[in-house]
Amino acid sequence: MKNAILKKEKLDDFIKIMSKDEKVIAPVLKGNQSYTFTEVKSADEISLKYLPTILPPKKYFMPQHETLIEYDKRNGQKVHCVVEVEDLVIFGVHTCDLAGIQCLNMIFADRPKDMNYLIRKNRITLIGLECNSYCDEFASCALMGNHIPKGGYDLLFTDLGNYFFVEINTRKGEELIEKTNLFENADSNHQEELNKLRKLKESIFKPEVDIDKNEIPSLFKKKFESKIWEDIGERCLSCGNCTNVCPTCYCFDVLDIPDLNLKTGKRVRVWDSCQNEPFAKISGGESFREKRGDRKRHRFNRKFRYPVERYGKFFCTGCGRCSRTCMAKIDLKETIRDLIKEGN
Amino acid sequence: MKKPKVAFFDFACCEGCQLQVANLGEDLLDILDTIDVVEFREVMTEKWDQGYDVAVIEGSITNEHAIEKIKRIRERSKILIAYGSCATIGGVNGMKNDFELNEIEAHVYQENAKHFKTVPTMAVSQVVKVDYFVNGCPIYPPEFITVLKCALAGLPYHVPDNVVCVECKINENICMYDKGVTCLGPVTKAGCNSWCINNGNVCYGCRGMVSNPNENSAKDVLSKYNISLDLIKNKMNMYNKCRELNKNEKDKS
Amino acid sequence: MEKIHINNSGYEIVPAKIVSTRKMTEQEKIFELKLVHGLSLDHEPGQFVEVSILGVGEAPISVCSSPTKRDSFEICVRAVKDGRFSNAMHNLDIGDEVGIRGPFGVGFPAAKLEGYDIIMVAGGLGIAPLRSLINYIIDNRREYGKVSLLLGCKDPQSMLFADEIDLWQKRVDINFSCTVDRGAPDWKGNVGLITSLIPNVNIDPERTYAVVVGPPVMYKFVIKELLSKGIPEHQILVSLERHMKCGLGKCGHCQIHNIYCCQDGPVFSYNNIKELKGAI
Ligand SMILES: Cc1cc2nc3c(=O)[nH]c(=O)nc-3n(C[C@H](O)[C@H](O)[C@H](O)COP(=O)(O)OP(=O)(O)OC[C@H]3O[C@@H](n4cnc5c(N)ncnc54)[C@H](O)[C@@H]3O)c2cc1C
Ligand code: SF4
Ligand code: SF4
Ligand code: SF4
Ligand code: SF4
Ligand code: SF4
Ligand code: FES
Repeated sequence: MKNAILKKEKLDDFIKIMSKDEKVIAPVLKGNQSYTFTEVKSADEISLKYLPTILPPKKYFMPQHETLIEYDKRNGQKVHCVVEVEDLVIFGVHTCDLAGIQCLNMIFADRPKDMNYLIRKNRITLIGLECNSYCDEFASCALMGNHIPKGGYDLLFTDLGNYFFVEINTRKGEELIEKTNLFENADSNHQEELNKLRKLKESIFKPEVDIDKNEIPSLFKKKFESKIWEDIGERCLSCGNCTNVCPTCYCFDVLDIPDLNLKTGKRVRVWDSCQNEPFAKISGGESFREKRGDRKRHRFNRKFRYPVERYGKFFCTGCGRCSRTCMAKIDLKETIRDLIKEGN
Repeated sequence: MKKPKVAFFDFACCEGCQLQVANLGEDLLDILDTIDVVEFREVMTEKWDQGYDVAVIEGSITNEHAIEKIKRIRERSKILIAYGSCATIGGVNGMKNDFELNEIEAHVYQENAKHFKTVPTMAVSQVVKVDYFVNGCPIYPPEFITVLKCALAGLPYHVPDNVVCVECKINENICMYDKGVTCLGPVTKAGCNSWCINNGNVCYGCRGMVSNPNENSAKDVLSKYNISLDLIKNKMNMYNKCRELNKNEKDKS
Repeated sequence: MEKIHINNSGYEIVPAKIVSTRKMTEQEKIFELKLVHGLSLDHEPGQFVEVSILGVGEAPISVCSSPTKRDSFEICVRAVKDGRFSNAMHNLDIGDEVGIRGPFGVGFPAAKLEGYDIIMVAGGLGIAPLRSLINYIIDNRREYGKVSLLLGCKDPQSMLFADEIDLWQKRVDINFSCTVDRGAPDWKGNVGLITSLIPNVNIDPERTYAVVVGPPVMYKFVIKELLSKGIPEHQILVSLERHMKCGLGKCGHCQIHNIYCCQDGPVFSYNNIKELKGAI
């Protein structure tokens, strides 16, 4: 595979050329050390060093609010299934978030397929950005093996001082490079510097929790009745922050929004959360995960055990967002450590 | 089809919610296409003396006269909507219950009611049956429209029983706690699209608490920000005082 | 933002016309539905559909008619208190249209049950999904061994499908019994829990399949009784109710551990879910 380099001073041109034809999305500082993915027109708006954004890039693949059908019943029932799409280039996605998108891909491609997601996904170009060092102390990407790139991008940028090493992973990525005409071929020196960085990263990124990743599902199975869930449940506010910010959470609600004439309207889906109290309640009033502890346990199992059993994949990328956002300071790594510590 | 007759009434309140409706702008015109407003103090003066399809009530019930009046309105209305915190949960007016409950017997609004000029502040639903609730101080206009549509379509409206944080995160706000400011979002009912936080303010809990708030944990979280327990209690009570009337009722039965 | 129309979305609905209705109790009403263009629903007994009323919403509802009846199908809807969909459904009448998605999920394995004795246990609204199997079995009666049907409900007034029950009761090829929690002055049948009917059934456990559908509280007790009769775990089938939104194994509402009830269920054999805490 061919690789390329981009001198740093040319990044601005790169963004500007792209943004002429398409919306370019990149991480931007919002304030108080909080970042968001949002549209940019030039490189100086972008934060190249950033903590994982408040919401992960999943919001472009699976928007918070999304129309599924539009209806008109003035004259019989007329229904159109719709997909709202736009061509996007998302620049600067960390490897943990790329892994998150790969999880979503798996879910929505699983039969029965979700066409809304799949169609939208094909209109998005992904440009990754490797982390040279930890974002902050909440990360557990090394435990999950997501601190290094594992595909999921069209181009991958690695910051090597005054230039970016650019791995071209798809034809789509190559076309961008051809079109913008700002890149140079990578030679063996560049490759050598990349190898050095990767070597250095091996000494920086170490599994953050002392456990063999493959043992985690059985740990969660064994600890299903642990009192730890109850303890966490007592602290949890059921605010749903940890699921909304998670790059691999995909639960949603479906509801109708009629227009004022009550004859036309749309059916939408909106993000929902298994941490919310009414999520698993049925009409008789029975809730199948009534206690906060039940719901916390469900979330953790949906990251570290159920998807491994069902899809052969962990659904935690190690991005640390859930712990970073939790007001009650419920910490993912700490919870796993507590489960290990508790013994049998 | 005949347009449904809708009337707006106000009790003890600031009339801020009526203002929200009067300021709906373009949406208001669309609404006026579908309904007939027969009484609306904020914008009209003529009085209607027949029945109403929909009565929209603002304000809490604070005296004998109000009790009688709301009962009469209920009798004349097919559908009754309580809107604004004062009407739905008692709201800020409920604060008075803290001071006067000692003087007013708890059972005052029952058999000996007429001997007392004032009664504990009550939400409308604590006096008559309410079909729809639009929480908020003031109301969040899009939610009012949603509820109005439900009322016109004859469908129930379920006030979300999730907390404000859910909407706040979906809107990708920076959490107030990350700014070092406290916020009542984690115990307050969603449905306002977290508009205060979207606009740079904290959530002060105007929509009332969810049915099962984790108050202990919320207090723990707040206390980490060096706020005295009294202040926390006040913060939480500001809009939620009238909850206690329900609790007392339950204890009695 | 560009909007494109697609025709292979999982949220596409097929219009269906209400061709007849029957009010069964204060709360329950049956609707006979016909898909447009003469389409056949082609469901398995025990599967469900997502029924839409545009502007109101969708709800998962079991198909309560047997697939042997092909040109229309039936659903039985209970109006739940403050329920958006269910009450709106009750306001519909002959000639009105609804939308259908599905059928969804894994139903009762009617073919696999052939050659076995069948004992069916239904509590409350559980009779609705079960009725599709009962009528399927009746229409293919020759293929099955002894067939028993045990019903339970709150009181005689809330008995569903009372007219059909009369017919089932009279058949010689079905062993029928029924009980109510609370009797009424003119009630001559059993009073008591549904579990009390099981001891009276003559069961040859190895060659019996038991099928259980009812409210969540019912399962534990009925299954315990069936196990004590020696019926193997994998020959006890249950149909579980969960909150459902998509029916497509995505939205997460119906999830039980690593299982999506809407796609992997709602029918499960007991051995597959007994380890899943909270499933039953
Ligand atoms: C597989 C399956 C089969 C069912 N079969 C029948 C049947 O044959 N007849 C019948 O009357 N009822 C059946 N139900 C239950 C029925 O779906 C609910 O009673 C119905 O969704 C209530 O909707 P509502 O809008 O009136 O109530 P609301 O309380 O307004 O419900 C709000 C929303 O919550 C969801 N919801 C609430 N309760 C349930 C629930 N129990 N299951 C799934 N989603 C729920 C719905 O999506 C609904 O849109 C079945 C449920 C499942 C899961
Ligand atoms: S963010 Fe924390 S408090 Fe909120 S639901 Fe998650 S664990 Fe509970
Ligand atoms: S569970 Fe937490 S750390 Fe793991 S992917 Fe989700 S938000 Fe990130
Ligand atoms: S969690 Fe790891 S991969 Fe993700 S941003 Fe932090 S350091 Fe980078
Ligand atoms: S700002 Fe308030 S409402 Fe928003 S997430 Fe933080 S605590 Fe919740
Ligand atoms: S954010 Fe809080 S204070 Fe503001 S409207 Fe919503 S509930 Fe009321
Ligand atoms: S109903 Fe959505 S996953 Fe089962």
